[in-house]
Amino acid sequence: MTKTTCRVATDVGGTFTDLVAFETAPDGSLKVTTAKSDTTPPNFENGVLNVLHKGGVDPSTVDFMAHGTTVVINALTERKGVSVGLITTEGFRDTLEIARGNRPDFFNLHYEKPEPFVPRHLRAEVPGRMTYQGDERAPLDASALPEILDDFRKEGVEAIAVCLLHGYANPAHEKAVLAEIQKLWPEVSVVASHQITREWREYERSNTAVLSAYVQPVAARYLGRLDAGLKSRGLPKSPYIMQSNCGVDSLQATSAIPITMVESGPASGFWGAAELGKLIDEPNILALDIGGTTAKCSLIEGGEVKIMTDYWIERSRKSAGYPIMVPVVDLVEIGNGGGSIARVDDFGKLHVGPQSAGALPGPAAYGKGGTEATTTDANLWLGRINRDYFCGGAIEADMSSTETALTNLASKLNVTVDDAARGIVRIANDNMVNALKLVSLNRGHDTRDFTLLAFGGGGSMHAVALAQELQVKKVVVPAAASVFSAWGMMMSDLRRDYFATQLMDLDAGAGARIEAVFAETEAEARATFEAEGVPSDKISFLRYGKFRYQNQEHTTEVPLDGTITDVILDKVAEDFHALYEKEYTYRLNAPVEMVGIHLVARAEVGKLTMAPAETGPADASGAIKATRQVDYALEGIHEATIYDGDALKPGMAFKGPAIIEDSGSTVVVHPKNHVSIDAYSNIHIMLKG
Amino acid sequence: MTHDPITLEIIQNSLSAAADEMFAAMGKTAMSSIIYEVLDMGSGITDADGRIASSGAGIPAFIGVLDKSVQFILQKHDDIRPGDVFITNDPWHGGVTHLNDIVLAMPVFSDGTLIAWTAIIAHNSDIGGMAPGSLSGDATEIFQEGLRLPAVKIINQGVTDDAVMDVISCNSRMPDFLYGDIWAAIAGVRVGARRLEGIAEKYGTETFQEAMSRFMEFGEKSACAELAKLPKGTFELDEEQDDGQIFNVKVTISENEFIVDFRDNPDQTAGPGNATRDGTVICAQMLFKALTGPDTPANDGSFRPLKVLTREGSIFHAKEPAAVGFYYETEIRSNDLIWRCLAPHIPELLPAGHFSSICGTFIGGIHPDTGRQYTIIEPQIGGWGAGHNHDGVSCNFCNFHGETYNTPAEISEARNGLYVDKMALNDAPGGEGEFTGGRGLILEYRIRAEQGFLTMGYTRFKEKPWALHGGVEGSGNYVEVIKPEGTTKYSFVSGLDVTTDDVIRVVSSCGAGFGDPKKRDKAAVAADIKAELITPERAAEIYD
Repeated sequence: MTKTTCRVATDVGGTFTDLVAFETAPDGSLKVTTAKSDTTPPNFENGVLNVLHKGGVDPSTVDFMAHGTTVVINALTERKGVSVGLITTEGFRDTLEIARGNRPDFFNLHYEKPEPFVPRHLRAEVPGRMTYQGDERAPLDASALPEILDDFRKEGVEAIAVCLLHGYANPAHEKAVLAEIQKLWPEVSVVASHQITREWREYERSNTAVLSAYVQPVAARYLGRLDAGLKSRGLPKSPYIMQSNCGVDSLQATSAIPITMVESGPASGFWGAAELGKLIDEPNILALDIGGTTAKCSLIEGGEVKIMTDYWIERSRKSAGYPIMVPVVDLVEIGNGGGSIARVDDFGKLHVGPQSAGALPGPAAYGKGGTEATTTDANLWLGRINRDYFCGGAIEADMSSTETALTNLASKLNVTVDDAARGIVRIANDNMVNALKLVSLNRGHDTRDFTLLAFGGGGSMHAVALAQELQVKKVVVPAAASVFSAWGMMMSDLRRDYFATQLMDLDAGAGARIEAVFAETEAEARATFEAEGVPSDKISFLRYGKFRYQNQEHTTEVPLDGTITDVILDKVAEDFHALYEKEYTYRLNAPVEMVGIHLVARAEVGKLTMAPAETGPADASGAIKATRQVDYALEGIHEATIYDGDALKPGMAFKGPAIIEDSGSTVVVHPKNHVSIDAYSNIHIMLKG
Repeated sequence: MTHDPITLEIIQNSLSAAADEMFAAMGKTAMSSIIYEVLDMGSGITDADGRIASSGAGIPAFIGVLDKSVQFILQKHDDIRPGDVFITNDPWHGGVTHLNDIVLAMPVFSDGTLIAWTAIIAHNSDIGGMAPGSLSGDATEIFQEGLRLPAVKIINQGVTDDAVMDVISCNSRMPDFLYGDIWAAIAGVRVGARRLEGIAEKYGTETFQEAMSRFMEFGEKSACAELAKLPKGTFELDEEQDDGQIFNVKVTISENEFIVDFRDNPDQTAGPGNATRDGTVICAQMLFKALTGPDTPANDGSFRPLKVLTREGSIFHAKEPAAVGFYYETEIRSNDLIWRCLAPHIPELLPAGHFSSICGTFIGGIHPDTGRQYTIIEPQIGGWGAGHNHDGVSCNFCNFHGETYNTPAEISEARNGLYVDKMALNDAPGGEGEFTGGRGLILEYRIRAEQGFLTMGYTRFKEKPWALHGGVEGSGNYVEVIKPEGTTKYSFVSGLDVTTDDVIRVVSSCGAGFGDPKKRDKAAVAADIKAELITPERAAEIYD
């Protein structure tokens, strides 16, 4: 290497646009720059240009840029997409409205079903049928399309989704409709379901295509302006866009099918967790991201994140929500964050979340008029957060408001103010433990084999308590936890996840048939990458088969190695039996069938490599700021040593009770914990000695 | 000993989480589509005495079943040990519903003391009997409806009783499915038991038990608080049924009791439409819960103010060995009877009548591509009634079902080897009002092989979903079978032969309307016309 390589990640959030720049010098040393500026709706690209300027980054020197944005999820939840028309198979225009008929809030006789994103008068049908085996049963009749499109135009439709029955098995009819629309109405935005997913279930696929169409013009406009703005400042190559599957994808591909960005926010953090795990030799990670309003968790096994396609937005015990069938990192999200409000119900029971005080009024301690106690207030009251260094000193903690809010709660619970604060922390912890159990114990994983990696504003405050409950061996808090998501983006490959439904018995000849499906999908992936200028030798694949016992529905994903032939089918079946038994406690003496494939296609696009620093002496006394009384709830009140996080250096070690503070986060170290700082400045907390 | 309220709260949260985990484990591993796709199942946790403490997602009609099963097992067995699993399906042996619904229950021990039970109920595809799928409209005794499992041990201290397993498998037309589904349920109760053992170990047996008991007290308190808001008095309703029988209910609401009296009803029938007393109690529980806090957890305490009176030997309290296969259509009538009886007095709590039928549909035959037997067992979705300030929703499952899913056409075509020609909203007239009822379903199955069969039994065919305050009643549930020689309409049919290219057209009712149609907002009428949910002619006739 002869010149400095500059990699930049920008992340557009609701309030701030963040920048992290990583400059790797020819000698391998790394310089990290961070900057923050206001998010600038509706012209978000201005915020990105501003933050680059603020961080002193000259776009013309940037070798690799990754960009994360919430534009898709915001357009969906705020209903700020465009008017969509849907074209579907004759007899099925109501699929989108019928949905699946479920009523999660089942005692409620006034349950309201989620409104479809396309009203009935904009859902049109065309004759023609495929079978589930992909054969044509009745030819496509597209003769009504001109009339349908005229009608759509009249009604102000700006984007069209096409989803035909069994389009996953044979997309020929969808392709023909697509081509016809492009011919008849070249300027309209249009997407067909097979371009997004090749899996069965017509409602889920239709809804996915519709939501993608709904956000497409919005996302394309956003990405187009961003690209033009950056290029005009000299950025040599378009930025890569963070996806929900933990990879980045090209700006061009993302503009066409933007729905794959829907959960890109959490994905970069979880990918960062997987990559960090590899770096520090901890391949099994429970990753926890606690923000202001929610906590999200995901399990990483053997260094691999789990990618699934059963994802919903707005789904809860009160609502069926909307399915989106795109590859999304397997995560559980709950409404528990620093701003979660604690309240006592009519029957004297304490609840924390999902309501959040948000940024305004925020926790009572913000002194902006918040009267309800939040998790942050409880943490302040208990001395876990430094009341004299609140938000890194940016806000003066209004402790009298916190006291009033907690006293009010305590009187309803008939306990002391201290006990009310402890109660909030314990309930919040319990909610998070239950979420962590869902991704671990509930899927047959023993948490004792895992390391808990905590990031986000609140992760490190609760991590040790959660780790004790789950009996994990160790907690790791990454260096600069506040820019961890951006770091994750820097570690991402160009990644595409292909899922295809392909029902098959594991009988003679199946090996070759399965291999053919993989080969075909790999060829498609390779062609797409190469068309984008990715060299062939940079591309690699991971293969998974989705298997089940004959007659079952849900599948278990089994990693597959090398070429599939009949010879290895027995081993494949045995791998399935073993994985199945691990998750569900039993195995059956029943035939195994394959339902489909999952292919991960990856290409390295110049991600960051990290170099370890020299480790110094263990003595950490130089980083001590002070001591103070900290309430550890069930473990009592202790005099804790307070460390300055910025002053901790590789090799240092010390014992709890302690608190590590820096401007972005607070790490709560419990009594008996042992802390050490690794060569990458990550904080390792061993629970017991 | 006093107990820290936060600890009790944490244990109570864990009970709900454990019940949800059980539900998920069963749903993911089941073999019958009625379980894994439709999720016709329920999971629950009871205390040591069999009182329901927590229930998972699933269907409300199954929540009140599991406690009754556990209570029967406790009564029958005195050798309950760690690692045991019990099985029952017989309504006179703790099974409550019909023989297809198999309950698996597992005792949970801590420090050698029985502290709780985990239990799962699910609809199994075939448990023997005179007809495929075990349900026949021709059954006159329960013996014709399949194998009766009278609350016996299937796993003894961790060791499976292969003899019992063999007897069960051997009695089913679909032994692989039944075997797989029973194991899926066992996995579910074990997951729950493991979780509860962990909680009890951590917090101590006594605290665990205290948390359960306080949770039920909380259920009772919240039910009583809502009960206090209901109008007091005695309300009565007679209602004619599709077959001409008259059903009756008297509901008496007082400060601390909610009494449902079903004693004045016809004798049990010779056919399979009988309900058991336990089943009738559950129907009353579901409506009581909807009135007294659908948002709070459902447990034993939630139902304490409720009293249900029945007469042994009546259709709502049948004596052994009555046939009960189609019990659910009778049960949903009793539930709807209470609903209709009270709705005019509390319209803000109770909307107008919905399609109110399970619409249980059974289609079977040989899959033309695989040569294997297929059986469709599915409830249908339909229209819900309008409320005092909103239109009813279209195509949702009835109030007996909850977190239940319909079967996608793409999956049905692959699995069952038939075609789904159409799945659409039912635009039949009916359900108009100031607020309109939701739309029912039209679902067309085209048969692809010879020697298939159709069995179905729907109510609310002649006696339509009932309207409120001047709205229009719903359109009615039925099936049409379209054959070359003609089309026939059915509300009940058993083992009807269907063959290649016959079309089975399932039609579920629109929900009923609320309020005078003339008062409907004109913009809403215009939107209905634009959506082609009503013709301009019908709209002019009804709304102008």
